[in-house]
Amino acid sequence: MSHQPAAIVGIGQTHHKRKRADVSIAGLVREAAQRALEDANMDWGDIDAVVLGKAPDLFEGVMKPEMYLADALGAVNKPMFRVHTAGSVGGSTGIVGSHLVSSGRHKRVLSVAFEKQSEGNAQFALGGGKGASIGAGGAFAPFIRAYIRRSGAPEDIGWMVAVKDRLNGAKNPYAHLKLADITIDKVKESPMMWDPLHFLESCPSSDGACAVVFTDEDGGKKASKPPAWVLATAMKSEPGWYSGRDAVNPQAAHACAQEIYKAVGITNPREQIDCAELYVPFSWYEPMWLEAHEIAAPGEGWKMTQSGATALDGDFPVNMSGGVLSSNPIGASGLLRFAEAALQVRGLAEDHQVGGAKLAIAQAYGANAQFFAMWAVGSSLNPLG
Amino acid sequence: MADTVQEFVFNLTFPFSRTLGSTLSTFASALAQGQIIGVRTGGRVIAPPLEYDPETAADAGTEWVRVGPKGTVSSWTWVPEPTNLHPLDHAFGFAFITLDGADTPMIHAVDAGSESAMSVGMRVEAKFKAPADCVGRIDDIIAFVPAADPSPSEGAGEPYDAPEENDITEMDAFCDLTYIDNASPTTTMWAKALMEGRLIGQKCPQCARTIVGPRGMCSVCAIELDESHVIDVPDRGVVSNFTVVTPVQYHGQTETEPFVRCSIMLDGADAVIAQQEILDIPANDVRVGMRVECVWAPASERSVADIDNRSRGSGGDAILGWRLTGEPDEPAELYLDRMM
Repeated sequence: MSHQPAAIVGIGQTHHKRKRADVSIAGLVREAAQRALEDANMDWGDIDAVVLGKAPDLFEGVMKPEMYLADALGAVNKPMFRVHTAGSVGGSTGIVGSHLVSSGRHKRVLSVAFEKQSEGNAQFALGGGKGASIGAGGAFAPFIRAYIRRSGAPEDIGWMVAVKDRLNGAKNPYAHLKLADITIDKVKESPMMWDPLHFLESCPSSDGACAVVFTDEDGGKKASKPPAWVLATAMKSEPGWYSGRDAVNPQAAHACAQEIYKAVGITNPREQIDCAELYVPFSWYEPMWLEAHEIAAPGEGWKMTQSGATALDGDFPVNMSGGVLSSNPIGASGLLRFAEAALQVRGLAEDHQVGGAKLAIAQAYGANAQFFAMWAVGSSLNPLG
Repeated sequence: MADTVQEFVFNLTFPFSRTLGSTLSTFASALAQGQIIGVRTGGRVIAPPLEYDPETAADAGTEWVRVGPKGTVSSWTWVPEPTNLHPLDHAFGFAFITLDGADTPMIHAVDAGSESAMSVGMRVEAKFKAPADCVGRIDDIIAFVPAADPSPSEGAGEPYDAPEENDITEMDAFCDLTYIDNASPTTTMWAKALMEGRLIGQKCPQCARTIVGPRGMCSVCAIELDESHVIDVPDRGVVSNFTVVTPVQYHGQTETEPFVRCSIMLDGADAVIAQQEILDIPANDVRVGMRVECVWAPASERSVADIDNRSRGSGGDAILGWRLTGEPDEPAELYLDRMM
């Protein structure tokens, strides 16, 4: 595929909370977008096209919010795109924005993703408006049980991820949960929500938004702050439900990572990638995605968690931002992963910065673990030299 | 098939809530006092106020302006037969009304009596609910009515001093949506079998998988399956996976205590049926590998009103749940990977 380089020159996010009682939905997305524009040293008028992503409209009960938000996001007389790919939507929203630049169609594009979970109820929405909703946790718990049995992982791996991500979140000023005093015992003793998942192994319900400004190569080179370069993007899907489907280790998860690694020239992900933001709404998904994205060998992902390799000071840090376990404005959660990877290679992640990060990946997944979005970003167009 | 539903009617309700943000809080709080306001931005007055200039997306600021209560209709349409979701229970007009002191129109109902009373340029005025009933919603204005006196509104265009703290910062947004799902041929077959106390699957002629509940296609081979591929499957099998859910108490939740939902691999089938209920044993005693059988509701009490085209194996109210057969467990490792 022939394309132009796309640079990330602005990143913004809201402070994420259980309930942002101080803002409307428009105010929420504008807060993130204005921070991204400020970071990019731009104003609304500098943007050529706007991409908006969020999870199902039933989460807030605002149907087609892109219509309501077009002028709030400065899209008057400009192209506006709505993206929806369930939980992976934030990632897809970033990818669509980057493609509008890399295709050569636009020079400056704003991608925004949000969720205001406090306006509705995710369990209600995921249950299609009926009683006895199993929610996301109930849907994924069987996959996690199968992973644990298959890999032989000790039960404390999930608790370790829950602690590690919350300690990272405590270093992120925007994170919803800042649980600096969390311990393995607190996780283990928290109520069982979706057996085998405890309350503290589960993501919170958050209000929040994230925004990213993309420019072409010229804009990236002239940016006032260091840009992140989009090195590769991939999205893969598979049916959510078919006889014999391996939901623990989906084909689409492998295909997504393989496409990224091939495009960037990554032959040894664990060695060559400096850090990763993976969509981990429930603790066990860290080892599961390390394996399904071929960073760890089959059955070995949990050993990376156990050894501390995925900690902020480990050799393969995962979810430096605190991840979905620390903030979960669902529609924005994917873009937050993608934005954090970019912050890392820009060297702007402050207290949760991985020293010298030059190449990072970010991933988001959605629905019945069937939609995958991933990108690789670099501090230069050729970080592997 | 008089005994089988052809349409699934579903009524979805939810009490959504909106946080208004400072601009709309100011508007709602003023409205509850009987005062309509706008905001002066970009050289014009936008009413109701927005947080941003809709042309440029720049912050609109807080230069509040009193507008109305009278205004001028700039465009309109007539609603001859209102539904229960319309603001009035009799024929009325929806109109763009530019309030005195404002430069942009707002949309609201005009209670004009008859279509012939409506016209572009007509002067109307807001008719509010009784002060005690005003809560800061746009329907605090019952409707606009033809203005008795067409002269300009007193005080319109003058500054409005907003209180430091707004009384009203949130709004209920109750959703009430009824939709109809037309039963697909496959769903109709499944529902009919349930009413007869039978479970059916579809056997793919290409990969030979037996899929339960049938979907009218084989997702692996991507080929269509029809009535000729239907086979009866046993109403007994093995628990292949499960979860125990601690219910969140949302609007419409039917559960109060932790409940179990199982995936069951029926004997001879290749796909599990998911989200099945286990009867007679505590949730925490459910194990992978347990042998279970279907507990059917008495024939006279069976209903499939609660299933739909996406249920994929839901037994509706025809199946009460599943109970242990008393046979020894099958080895868990044979089944644990069978989530689908």
